Amino acid sequence: MIISMSVIIAASTLYFVFSEGIDAQLEEKVFVTHTGAIVKTTGEIIDPLYVASTMEFDPMKYLREFNYGRVSQLPDGTTLREFTIIAEDDKVMEISPGVFFNVWTFNGTVPGPTIRVTEGDFVRIKFINNGSREHTMHFHGIHPAEMDGVFEPVGPGGQFTYEWFADPVGVHPYHCHIMPLEEHIARGLYGVYIVDPKEGRPIADEMIMVLNGFDTDFDTENNFYAANTIPFYYQHHPIQINTNELIRVYVVNMLEFDPINNLHLHGNLYYYYPTGTDTVPSTYTDMITLSQTERGIMEFEYKYPGKYLFHAHKVEFSEKGWIGIFIVKDNPDQKSQTEIEYGT
Amino acid sequence: MELSRKPSKAKLVASGVIPFAFLILMIAYIFGPGSDLLDFGVPLPEITIEKVDFVDSEILATVRNTGPIPVEIVMADVNDRIQPAAIEPDRFLERFESAVVRIPFKWNVAEPYTIGLTIEDGTRFEREIEAAAPALEPSLELAGFFAIIGTYVGIIPVMIGLLWLPFIKKISKNKYHFFLALTAGLLLFLGIDSVEEALNVYEENLSQSFNGVLLVATVIVITFLGLYYTAEKLIKRAASSRITKPVAVALMIAIGIGLHNFGEGLAIGAAVGIGSIAFSTFLIVGFALHNTTEGIAIAAPMAREKTMIGKALIGKLAVLGMIAGAPAIFGAWVGGFVYSPFATVVFLSIGAGAIFQVIITVLRWIREEGDKNLSSAAVASGIAVGMLIMYLTSILV
Repeated sequence: MIISMSVIIAASTLYFVFSEGIDAQLEEKVFVTHTGAIVKTTGEIIDPLYVASTMEFDPMKYLREFNYGRVSQLPDGTTLREFTIIAEDDKVMEISPGVFFNVWTFNGTVPGPTIRVTEGDFVRIKFINNGSREHTMHFHGIHPAEMDGVFEPVGPGGQFTYEWFADPVGVHPYHCHIMPLEEHIARGLYGVYIVDPKEGRPIADEMIMVLNGFDTDFDTENNFYAANTIPFYYQHHPIQINTNELIRVYVVNMLEFDPINNLHLHGNLYYYYPTGTDTVPSTYTDMITLSQTERGIMEFEYKYPGKYLFHAHKVEFSEKGWIGIFIVKDNPDQKSQTEIEYGT
Repeated sequence: MELSRKPSKAKLVASGVIPFAFLILMIAYIFGPGSDLLDFGVPLPEITIEKVDFVDSEILATVRNTGPIPVEIVMADVNDRIQPAAIEPDRFLERFESAVVRIPFKWNVAEPYTIGLTIEDGTRFEREIEAAAPALEPSLELAGFFAIIGTYVGIIPVMIGLLWLPFIKKISKNKYHFFLALTAGLLLFLGIDSVEEALNVYEENLSQSFNGVLLVATVIVITFLGLYYTAEKLIKRAASSRITKPVAVALMIAIGIGLHNFGEGLAIGAAVGIGSIAFSTFLIVGFALHNTTEGIAIAAPMAREKTMIGKALIGKLAVLGMIAGAPAIFGAWVGGFVYSPFATVVFLSIGAGAIFQVIITVLRWIREEGDKNLSSAAVASGIAVGMLIMYLTSILV
């Protein structure tokens, strides 16, 4: 008994003492990390560039995905656009490589789907709450009081239909408006709602950037920042654009906890249309500052091909993920920029 | 007779083993299938950054999983800014497993840094470093530097303290008891000091899961009992061997102080190693003054050593001084080159246990010498003055 016990103890002691020695022959590998620093290690790299990710949310798809709804005509000829939005609050999403966080979602993603309509359209949004707590949809814009999504909480399993005539033109946020509001927003219940002018805007390579972040340890400070949810994503997967092509970015700041956010563009300046409500830009700059739910449209063209950064010039945010790259290529067809595209 | 004894012995073994068997069965049942019943509450993950080293263009953080569940380290940051990093051997940490996170970073000497690690659920754990200092690379030069510090702080003061021996020898019995009691007071202070230091190191570096206070208490009691037993043997044998009782007592005191000074050396080496103190001459003077009193503690019992004179006595004193003082050098080496907070807590606790044992030895000696009386004015004032002297010299450190 005693002998066998001492053998077991001796064996386990040997294992604990020499367990590190067992891996000693591992090869040193060299990695270039996302900051350009070089690491040699026998172990693993923990860097957004190397951590294998099973991320289901695709920021590249979200970037240029506009949802125009199920389109039909009302008897008076008005265009009717119908959307179905389902809220859930039990989803655990990989919000940064290796970091799994319980997000609350509209249609399963953070941000929710981008809803795009044309000024004067009749918008009908069928909202279903599949979550475990009350949720609503509160759209910024002009609509009747009872369509405001504040005083009509939708309980678990409940439904609500929001209806209004799309107004005004611009880029607006939508989000849940149940208390505690900060939690319902910071957990991910928000998205972008675009109202196009009837006459449309000049044809452009259009994209959406929602500036957001996550407080994963609940200390009312964000641990991660990003454009479109995933930190550092567009740094490792640069956005491809062409020279001499109009780029239009719909920017919406949904960041909680931090009072401001901003967007700085490298090697260029942009025309900025606050809230997108006016056709005349308010400024021509490479840096604007946005408070919560402040948003606007940025338009620019690149003259020279190459790699250009865009990031928060509140550099703390960019060092925690809110940074990306445009890869500008020579335009294959220098077609005229005068065509006008209407919403489909 | 033999036959009837054997089965009873087997019965005895069985009766000793059966409770163990049931214990193993119970544990197997709890961990076995269907154990979900006992999973109440939400176990919270916890990691502890036990050590941060600043090397050439790199910050090394030693991290241990000190929580109840396995974790995965997914991100590192410096001053709350995300940094790419490597983790060795890998990012999955079982309970109590540790790993080293290597963060490439151009750090600046003497500036504060906060090192953060994030686990898979997004929880971030951090450790603040007051001032970055290059990790010490073992070198002969540095070993020499530590040896000099150890000599100044350990050996020389103890030797100077021993020079009081002729004085103590000449004084009256009552005054002598005062000096023995003074020794007890000095030691009591050192013992409390060691405990405090051990608890501090634990608080600053180790996670709750080590049960620091109980770790310190357990080590103190074990050391105390071990030395108590050894000391009894040593003093009993003293009668029949070459060493006399005063030498035996002095030796016990020297060993106790030596263990304490080892802990002190660890603290000094570690402090230099992690750059938390600038080693000023003032600080060395403080330690030296403080430790001179330790020499008195050894000298006091030796004053009753009557058989030895001249060179033999000086030789003995020198050996005792080395036993008490030299460990400061070894402590500084260990603390500076291979610092481990856990080992430091253990060593400091061993020192405290040793000292408490020595106090008992000294008090018993006073009692035997002083007509079974421990409540004389000499003894009471001796202990009190001993504590006061130590407190006042400790302010200098």
